[in-house]
Amino acid sequence: MEFRPRNYVAEEQSHALPRSRADIHPLSSPSPQPILRQVDDSAENRTTEEFFDPLRAPDSNPSVEVVDENDFERSSNGIDDSVQVQTKEWTSFKRLLMQRFPVSKMISVSSMSNTIVRSGKAHEKSSSSTHLEELDDSQKSSEESAKVITRQEYVSRLHELKDEINRAWHNEDRVKSLKLSIKVARLLMDTSVLNFYPTLFVLVTDVLDMLGEMVWERIRQKAEFAEDGARFCSLRAENFGASDVPADAKETCYNWFCKVGTIRELLPRIYLELAIFPCWRFLIEQPAESLQRLVTMTRGLADPLASAYCRLYIAHRAQKLLSHETGHLITCVNDIKLIFTRMSSTKETARGGFDDSKRPLVSLMEPSVEFIMKSIFNDASPRRVGRVLVDLGIWRSQEELFCGSPCVSIVLHHLLKELPTDIVCFHALDILQLINCSNDNSYDQYLNYRLVGLRLSEQMSQIATVDAIVNEVIQVVSEYGLDEYLKVVDAYLDIILQNQMDGHLKTILECILKMASDKVLAEDELASLQSILVKLLSHFKDLEHVFSLNHFLQILDMMHGSSRSIVNMHILDMATRNGYVHDPTTIQLLFEISQALHSDTDLVNMKNDDNQQQARLISRFVRMVDHGAAYERHLEFLAECRGAFGSIIELKEILVHSSNCLATKALKDGQNHTGFVKSCIGFSEVTIPSISGHIKQLNLYLETAEVALLGGLVSHSDGLIDSAINCLQSSDLVEGSRTVDSDGILSSIRKLCSLLIMVPGNPEVGILHIPKSILSIIQSRSWSPRLRARLLCAIISLSATLSQERLPYHVDQPEIMGNDLLFFGDSSYVHELLSLMESVLPNLVDIIEQESSRAARGSMSLEACNCIASSFKINEHVLPICSKLIETAKSCLNANDKYLTSTISFLDKNLHAATVPSSITI
Amino acid sequence: MSTKIELSLSRPNRIYRPSEPLEGKIVVKSASSISHYGIRIALNGSVTLQVRGGSAGVIESLYGVLKPITILNRIIEIKPSGKFVSGTTEIPFSITLRNPKEEDSERFYETFHGTDISIQYLATVEIMRGYLHKSLSATVEFIVESDKADLLNQPVSPEMVIFYITQDTQRHPILPELKSGGFRITGRISTQCPMLEPLGGELTVEASALPICSIDIHLLRVESILLGERIITETSLVQTTQIADGDIFRNMTVPIYVILPRLLTCPTVLAGPFSIEFKVAIVISFQSELSRLHPKSDPLTPRLWMAMETLPLELVRTR
Amino acid sequence: MVLVLALGDLHIPHRAADLPPKFKSMLVPGKIQHIICTGNLCIKEVQDYLKTLCPDLHITRGEYDEETRYPETKTLTIGQFKLGLCHGHQVIPWGDLDSLAMLQRQLDVDILVTGHTHQFTAYKHEGGVVINPGSATGAYSSMTYDVNPSFVLMDIDGLRVVVYVYELIDGEVKVDKIDFKKTAATTHSAH
Repeated sequence: MEFRPRNYVAEEQSHALPRSRADIHPLSSPSPQPILRQVDDSAENRTTEEFFDPLRAPDSNPSVEVVDENDFERSSNGIDDSVQVQTKEWTSFKRLLMQRFPVSKMISVSSMSNTIVRSGKAHEKSSSSTHLEELDDSQKSSEESAKVITRQEYVSRLHELKDEINRAWHNEDRVKSLKLSIKVARLLMDTSVLNFYPTLFVLVTDVLDMLGEMVWERIRQKAEFAEDGARFCSLRAENFGASDVPADAKETCYNWFCKVGTIRELLPRIYLELAIFPCWRFLIEQPAESLQRLVTMTRGLADPLASAYCRLYIAHRAQKLLSHETGHLITCVNDIKLIFTRMSSTKETARGGFDDSKRPLVSLMEPSVEFIMKSIFNDASPRRVGRVLVDLGIWRSQEELFCGSPCVSIVLHHLLKELPTDIVCFHALDILQLINCSNDNSYDQYLNYRLVGLRLSEQMSQIATVDAIVNEVIQVVSEYGLDEYLKVVDAYLDIILQNQMDGHLKTILECILKMASDKVLAEDELASLQSILVKLLSHFKDLEHVFSLNHFLQILDMMHGSSRSIVNMHILDMATRNGYVHDPTTIQLLFEISQALHSDTDLVNMKNDDNQQQARLISRFVRMVDHGAAYERHLEFLAECRGAFGSIIELKEILVHSSNCLATKALKDGQNHTGFVKSCIGFSEVTIPSISGHIKQLNLYLETAEVALLGGLVSHSDGLIDSAINCLQSSDLVEGSRTVDSDGILSSIRKLCSLLIMVPGNPEVGILHIPKSILSIIQSRSWSPRLRARLLCAIISLSATLSQERLPYHVDQPEIMGNDLLFFGDSSYVHELLSLMESVLPNLVDIIEQESSRAARGSMSLEACNCIASSFKINEHVLPICSKLIETAKSCLNANDKYLTSTISFLDKNLHAATVPSSITI
Repeated sequence: MSTKIELSLSRPNRIYRPSEPLEGKIVVKSASSISHYGIRIALNGSVTLQVRGGSAGVIESLYGVLKPITILNRIIEIKPSGKFVSGTTEIPFSITLRNPKEEDSERFYETFHGTDISIQYLATVEIMRGYLHKSLSATVEFIVESDKADLLNQPVSPEMVIFYITQDTQRHPILPELKSGGFRITGRISTQCPMLEPLGGELTVEASALPICSIDIHLLRVESILLGERIITETSLVQTTQIADGDIFRNMTVPIYVILPRLLTCPTVLAGPFSIEFKVAIVISFQSELSRLHPKSDPLTPRLWMAMETLPLELVRTR
Repeated sequence: MVLVLALGDLHIPHRAADLPPKFKSMLVPGKIQHIICTGNLCIKEVQDYLKTLCPDLHITRGEYDEETRYPETKTLTIGQFKLGLCHGHQVIPWGDLDSLAMLQRQLDVDILVTGHTHQFTAYKHEGGVVINPGSATGAYSSMTYDVNPSFVLMDIDGLRVVVYVYELIDGEVKVDKIDFKKTAATTHSAH
């Protein structure tokens, strides 16, 4: 046997493709557009992402803003879409409404709600009334007995009623449907269980909406189809008018309104009319006008809660008309304002604000204000906004604007929420004035100040009088306690930062420090502080600048818990986002921050996603630290990190890579750094064993060995390669419970083989000590034939390369001589290699025969054949082996197989190249 | 039953005016062919008056149904004798209600179903089948509304009556605290109202010593019957409509909006032998412990905790 | 005309913080139709970044890749060409033409792209073309710490390929080109 001689340099030269200078290339003139866009994108990511690692952040939850976006889109969409959006909005509004007010499990039901208390389900508290009255009974004060029913029962009873109504309707018993619906609507007359009312409202209006829908459909069908089913007109178009409707359909429709009109009680009568309200379109051309009547009728409901929700239902049903009319809604708001004003001015409240006992009621009424306000400003044109403000009594007139009289603060709150941003920006000072004088207790005044700040931040460039606004706000908040102070300041911080109001910023930080010292911060305060600090961080791109702000670090020190961790995470993220961290002071600070973060992190739950985020950030910080030429200091730092963050597994890998990289940097510097490189390699060597995963360890040992070679440290590299072999020995295909990837093992061992080409053989342990160790591992393992065969091929390729007079590559380190120089002309060296091959080749053929899969056996044969043919001269020793392998492949593979044909022609070529006469045909 | 007969009118709501033809079809469904001696339709309209003892006073003998007043009584031959084949046979008809020969002899009062007075129109189809067979017949009620030509040409006056309800306008005893503390409820209400339009108006509580429990609008019907020399009048409640529930804000105006119930109302009639008139009562109930003791009181009976104002209401049919 | 970006051995963050800014500003979304990456990225953020340049991204596994699910080798067809991808640390000896030709026969591809040596090379042999785009960050390699950052852009147009080599030498981007055509002899392997 004889290795095929190679001349790597000549081969490369002859095959290299010629290069020429390219003055024009596809990336030569990048159009400026995409670059700009890219910058924008990243800037956006920074401000909007809650988590600073935008690439890793989990999908953000769909938020309320999504709905808002839909609002804006509405005008451009068709009617159908707008109806869909409204339906969706209403559905989500209802869901929120039910979640917003927690209800106790048991609900006391007054006699009014006998509809619910049927079939003896209720537990009677009073025995005075044993018979359940028919529901038409209107004497609500006649019975004092209260019954208690579980919330669940109440809800399921209502569902039953809904089904019953539906059933009756489809059995053509529409009168029964109506009667039951009236009963259901009557339930809303009972406001005794305050917190249950929103839920009740949702349940009842569900039933009424259903009835309304059925009535609408019936009349529409009546209008479209003659009695014999012939279609005589189409009202499908959403813009039909009353004049298109035939008299019969009108008659039926009018009958419905008559029937509803006979309901004695005001509340169910309004609700039922609202349910069938869209049907007015069949009768009159301007149905919206009737809304105004219903709104004024609602004034007859003295109960504030009942009337507020009734107005909510008006706003909801009015949407079905798809009209942009808002007059009725404005009257609703003004009436609600009046209710609030009356509530706050009753005798029991001393200072004209809201009694705290009324707060629950106020917050129960809030959704109504919220929804109506939203409906008013949907698609509002600037002109209409002006009119709305005049109608709401906020502006005196479109010309004179703010009239200076107070507004109920909860109403004001929702107005400010919906007001177009440009109006808020343009009139901010007047709005602040308005908030200032609207100081009833219906809504916390500071929250309105906060809201204006948030709204202004939406379009900072449009704010007219920034200085005056901020001065005013700072003035106002100076009277506040810490929590309120933080919440308001937080909202204005972006404006302050954007306009570089450093004086204000200084004042704010001072105030915070003063108020927060000697105080255990509460959750809310921490959350606000977190938001404030994060805003500061994201504003000042430069971390050192933030740290130099007065009191920033002191304030950070006062924080604790998850808020502190989050701020710390932001700091770390910022620190590492823009490349390396160089400043030693900053590094020290960040190290301390990392330590704090690490100690705040639940070590037991390192698997937890949040904690992974923290671990990742700390790791990133460590790898982004750059002490520049202070290599010693950097290595020290790595050691400190190993001590401080021992529980972060992924960090250890980084430490190894970092110390290795550090060594190469020192080497690149060119001075004599041998001692330092040794320290680095020592550090890596000590760190690697604590990393889990043998393959990982193996690869890290190999990297370290490479670095050792680059540093001229042959004995170190020998030691490291030994450690790598040990790793291999202690690894098994089944590591823990999961199977180790054999691809990984294979490619790492092959890499080791390629590395060995540069490693000077050590005659003390035998120059083929390592390849032999690998062979013995191959023998001792129950690895698959496939893996073993490929590993043997690797050994063959390695041996063939080592036998060359000139090796293909050497370490870039003049002190290390390759084996080609060490054993130049040493025939025993080549002989040793060849004798190794004597045993490997037959072994390889045997192993291939062990493979049970035909296809795998075929491709393994070809792989082996390729390997052998490129490693050896094809002579009488080798050719039979190749022939046998080809035969095996032929028997396993299709004759047209590309790999097979290309291997045969390769073999053919090598055969001709060999000096041996070509007497053998394959 | 092998043969069925049905009378189906052209209008689903069955409303016709005297000058219009009553149209429809007679539907005969028969399993076998039948011969008959003729088909005819009888139209009958009458005012039924009845006086009940309770309200008529002491004269027991007067109790009972008075002789009905006939408005319309005609028999019209639709088909001479003939034969139906088996299956469904439809025979259309069209009859002018007002007999053109007898001008103005009949007054078509509008259909009305009241307590004492009932104005009803019936159409009956009859198929004569000789002595051996019972004749086949079917009856439907049709509703008569006044002819447009007979209606007032001018629109109903939009004017409303202004009312004041205070402790001093009450003709029945009221709670002392109401009497002393006082109350003042004002408003406007229309006293002439077209049948197809809601009864409108508005009401404002200007002041009240006691919290208000409820404000209701009662629609009342006054039926009078001339009995010899006497007029027997009965007032009954047609419909109650609440316009305020609970102690509503002072000086906040709430609308009065009452849709008139169909069939239970008709245009005000002042005929010789009888009259049908309407009234509207505004009733304010104040919150009082006393009211709880009388849970089932007749809403029209004046009570200590109630204040009321009753106004005449003329219902008219407009064009 | 199809542009294929070929790059690898970034070793971010272990041996380099990021791509050189000069490379980054050249690589903008919307220009490149395919990216083939030989491996050793090493963290997922790099993959995400490449995805922003072009969503059609093909990666093979380097020994230090955080993501272990990348395949050892990969083939794909672009136009008339069949391309093969492999990191190259598995090749014995590293970067050897004969060994790469073996792999090329095995994968049956026209163009084989491998890395690991952190040194740009482009060879042509009977079996086709072998390209090594070098290290895009100039990370130190198994053999040397002296590496110039480089990557390759292939403009595939019919049977012709122009390979642009971008190298950062002393702070300047130097662009060379290599032009080759698929010969009739290798045409058969494209299908």
